Amino acid sequence: MTATEQQAAGTLSGPLRAALIEKLTALADDEIILAHRDGEWTGHAPILEEDIALANIAQDELGHAGLYLELRRALDGSDADQLAFFRDAADYRSARFVELPKGDWAFTMVRQFLFDTYEALWLDAARTSTYAPLAEVAEKAFREEKFHLQHTALWVERLALGTGESRRRTQAALDELWPYAAQLFQPVPGEAELVAARIVPDLDKLRGSWESFVLPHLTGKCGLTLPDAPADAGAGRDTHTEHLAPLLAEMQSVARAVPNAEVW
Amino acid sequence: MTQPPTPHPDTQWPRWEVFKQDAPGRPHQAVGSVHAGDPQHALVTARNVFVRRPAAVSLWTVREADILTATPEELGTRPEVLDTPGEAGTYHVGLKRTHKRSMTFVDLVGTVEASGPGDALRQAREAHPDALTWLVFPESGVVRTDEDPGTVESWFAPAKDKTYKQQQYYGVIGRHIGELKREGLMPGRAKEGVQE
Repeated sequence: MTATEQQAAGTLSGPLRAALIEKLTALADDEIILAHRDGEWTGHAPILEEDIALANIAQDELGHAGLYLELRRALDGSDADQLAFFRDAADYRSARFVELPKGDWAFTMVRQFLFDTYEALWLDAARTSTYAPLAEVAEKAFREEKFHLQHTALWVERLALGTGESRRRTQAALDELWPYAAQLFQPVPGEAELVAARIVPDLDKLRGSWESFVLPHLTGKCGLTLPDAPADAGAGRDTHTEHLAPLLAEMQSVARAVPNAEVW
Repeated sequence: MTQPPTPHPDTQWPRWEVFKQDAPGRPHQAVGSVHAGDPQHALVTARNVFVRRPAAVSLWTVREADILTATPEELGTRPEVLDTPGEAGTYHVGLKRTHKRSMTFVDLVGTVEASGPGDALRQAREAHPDALTWLVFPESGVVRTDEDPGTVESWFAPAKDKTYKQQQYYGVIGRHIGELKREGLMPGRAKEGVQE
């Protein structure tokens, strides 16, 4: 934790600090869970090159989680490894969108495309955060996310315009994922105050930018059909799919088996 | 008896050779290859596979079918390679100059104007008679990363900030073998006059 982070953390009022902790946790948890889902392809991707590429993306996302949790540490002294490996599903704040099983390659690529667009836009906007440590982190992660987005946009296009089978799978992936994507734009408790203090971007505005990017790509360039979806994202981030607990059981098994391990 | 069908048909996408430039002013060097369905896919894939660590500023990919290579031995037995026909224009020339073990084997050294790939190879051999291998491909076959600052930053900058960890960095169960060796705890050559 840098002196700047420590100093910046000291300037936040109690409610803002609590809301920022909640927000950073949500951001980090999305990255941890998505990284794990992507990591499940390691050794199983359609070709060796994509196996390496997706592992690389997963590692980047996990790196972003590490950055967010470092920011949280400056606020409440919490430890990233403890949070990742010793919290149960009920205490995770991931969106249901990232918890869904990895599915086929089309499902993984469509989800990653929708997420990368959201994350790239969020980070781009967060580069001007009034909370300096967050602005710094956003600047760093934004560059990587821009590249992820090029990669996944390319894949969605090729799958959608590929064979009849790849098209069918891509459309099915979009049909399943689209309703869940709305939750990415659901604020956490206290987020309105963070937005008012210009610490984090406004998710309503962000959703507009997101739609004006993903819709032309999906329906225009790729010729996919947008499914009907309720505008309401449903329950908050304390409500999970049944898929989260088994994922955590696997992800946390080694850390929990040897909780006092110092070196891996 | 009829011939059985080929048991393992080649289902791979085309192969693309990847050339990486480490810094402005340095030559592009052959670093390996990727399989990809089309030029843009080849570039994106090459970035993931070859630019994770450490630095790069530019990537080129060239479809394997567009590359002509030859060693002096090959030209001795098959001189007709120098007559390989193809489009006239600018050709890039690459050379392998050493057998020394290395991360890269071929450096691009410049371009020639040629009537075809065979002619380009002939010119490469005349200009660099001592090379172990010559490699040529037409400028028209090169797919490049964009040189605008945004692309350079998102494709290449992140890798620079990442620590490249040698294998030895990672912890091992028990003690590292090098440590045991230094302390003479590993069986090796018997030391004269040492009584355990």
